[in-house]
Amino acid sequence: MSNPFIRIDGVTRTFGEVYAVDDVSLDIQQGELFCLLGGSGSGKSTLLRMLAGFERPTTGRIIIDGRDMTDVPPHARDVNMMFQSYALFPHMSVERNIAYGLHRMGMPRAQIATRVTEMLSLVQMEKLARRKPDQLSGGQRQRVALARALARRPKLLLLDEPLGALDRKLREETQLELKKIQSSLGITFIVVTHDQEEAMTLGDRLGVMNEGRIVQVGAPHEVYEFPQSRFVADFIGTVNLFDGTIAEDRDTDAVIASPEAGIDIRIPHAVAGTAGQPVAVALRPEKIVISRTLPDPYDNVLTGQVTDIVYSGNLSVFHVTLASGKRVRVSRTNRLRAESEGIGAGDAVQLGFTGHSAVVLAS
Amino acid sequence: MSRTVLRLVVIAGFVFLYAPIVSLVIYSFNESRLVTVWSGFSTKWYGELLRDPQILGAAWISLKVAFLAACLATVLGTLAATALVRHGRFRGQTLLGGLVTAPLVMPEVIIGLSLLLLFVALDNALGWPGGRGLSTIVIAHATFGTAFAVVVIQARMVALDRSVEEAAQDLGARPLRVFFDVTLPGLAPALVAAWLLAFTLSLDDVVIASFVASPGSTTLPMVIFSKVRLGVSPEVNALATLVIATVSILALIAAWLSARRRGAVSV
Repeated sequence: MSNPFIRIDGVTRTFGEVYAVDDVSLDIQQGELFCLLGGSGSGKSTLLRMLAGFERPTTGRIIIDGRDMTDVPPHARDVNMMFQSYALFPHMSVERNIAYGLHRMGMPRAQIATRVTEMLSLVQMEKLARRKPDQLSGGQRQRVALARALARRPKLLLLDEPLGALDRKLREETQLELKKIQSSLGITFIVVTHDQEEAMTLGDRLGVMNEGRIVQVGAPHEVYEFPQSRFVADFIGTVNLFDGTIAEDRDTDAVIASPEAGIDIRIPHAVAGTAGQPVAVALRPEKIVISRTLPDPYDNVLTGQVTDIVYSGNLSVFHVTLASGKRVRVSRTNRLRAESEGIGAGDAVQLGFTGHSAVVLAS
Repeated sequence: MSRTVLRLVVIAGFVFLYAPIVSLVIYSFNESRLVTVWSGFSTKWYGELLRDPQILGAAWISLKVAFLAACLATVLGTLAATALVRHGRFRGQTLLGGLVTAPLVMPEVIIGLSLLLLFVALDNALGWPGGRGLSTIVIAHATFGTAFAVVVIQARMVALDRSVEEAAQDLGARPLRVFFDVTLPGLAPALVAAWLLAFTLSLDDVVIASFVASPGSTTLPMVIFSKVRLGVSPEVNALATLVIATVSILALIAAWLSARRRGAVSV
């Protein structure tokens, strides 16, 4: 395989005693939309700022398109950034904001005018070209910031919480639009976000960060369905975690003894552990079937009592307390307006799931 | 009830502050040579004023000094504020901050005296500035004007969004370019305010100027001061009224400029 487009090679960045980014290595391919996902203080923004050149790695190297960029200042990098605050130039019109980077490239005026028009139509801002940033709404500013960052046709576009300031509805529309623009231009995007839903919708791949390290990299469905650690399982989406120990581990199946769950959980594959090893079984709320008496047989059935029902329109989330005191969350799509089998708070219920849907975590 | 009390307090405050100025302005239009006796409206003292070469000369010197000192103070203030705000922690940062703003609290007499000693020592050592005059007053006024300019510009610089400068850098601007394209326009209201402040302070100063001026470079406040020592004359009232008008107009321009900016933001 050819060299990756971006290679982050053992990069560490310390601020005094604090390791903001701790020995991160990551390869990103040309044309990829990569999401860096993490909570505040996870180091995702510092990593992005190192790619832009605003911070220098304490150790390690950053290679973009075959060139070592570690010591290259921001203005000399073929990389542009869309800032979280948008950072538009307040004293310049929309047009002049977009043209700024082109002037710095020494592009001829006629060509700049063409490119600005092109960018304005890309983000559908033609009519507001002469406005100043303070005369625009949040969504419009976001578009201008995107157009300005794309105008130079960078090899790599960095986006710091690009949709953070938009309301929910606008955010969903903009996510799709961003994805469309990215695939039509073929520019590599690296998006930093703390919003796991956004990361999953946007990203071709995700990198989950925690305490300065990348803890898992993969396609959104891989990270969601096959988390490799408790942290990732818990950070991405909602999860029920059952503590237990490996009781049996054979070539084709395994059994996890979990007093918390009140049963021996059957897993239809090997878990590659040793008997007696403590593990956790992770199970997403939507992968559990809830019923007073389950109509179909399941390899694993828990019993408990409904303590709370959280209704959120399309979904209802049932909070079920097991005999061990463990609370389990089960979500169900509200397919019918009036559920035929109305489960209420206080009802005794059965929870069924197949071992295929569970993930056994060693750490 | 408490509203009425508040209103009265505010009115009393304004009367306390402005009654002397208003009476001065009114008496500048008094026909009588006796300052405290009203004998009818006249603008003759303004005419007298315009025929007085000493006052006209002093006014011209004052304006020149104020203009140059304000420009110098704004430039130096911007540089000092940049160093203090933009360059992270460096050795002597606190010391620089303290030294730059010290003239705010230093007695004027001491500033004036120390500058005079400095100029005399420089003259002996280097043969410059070659006696006292316009340039020494400008330097002296720029010195304390800078202190005020730093405070005003620093406050604005702290409030500026750093990422706007980073965006310019990211779009290919070198550091100096970033400063002129983004930082300076962002600072503009503070620069105007600092300049006007330094200008007015220079126009007002009599103590420091008395130390570093020469007989040939007497500023307007010095002339007023010396005239008043011989007794208050209606001529001085007229002169003071003109000074007040000038300063008020400058203040109004500054207020209008900043109000216009705020108006644009709220659109």
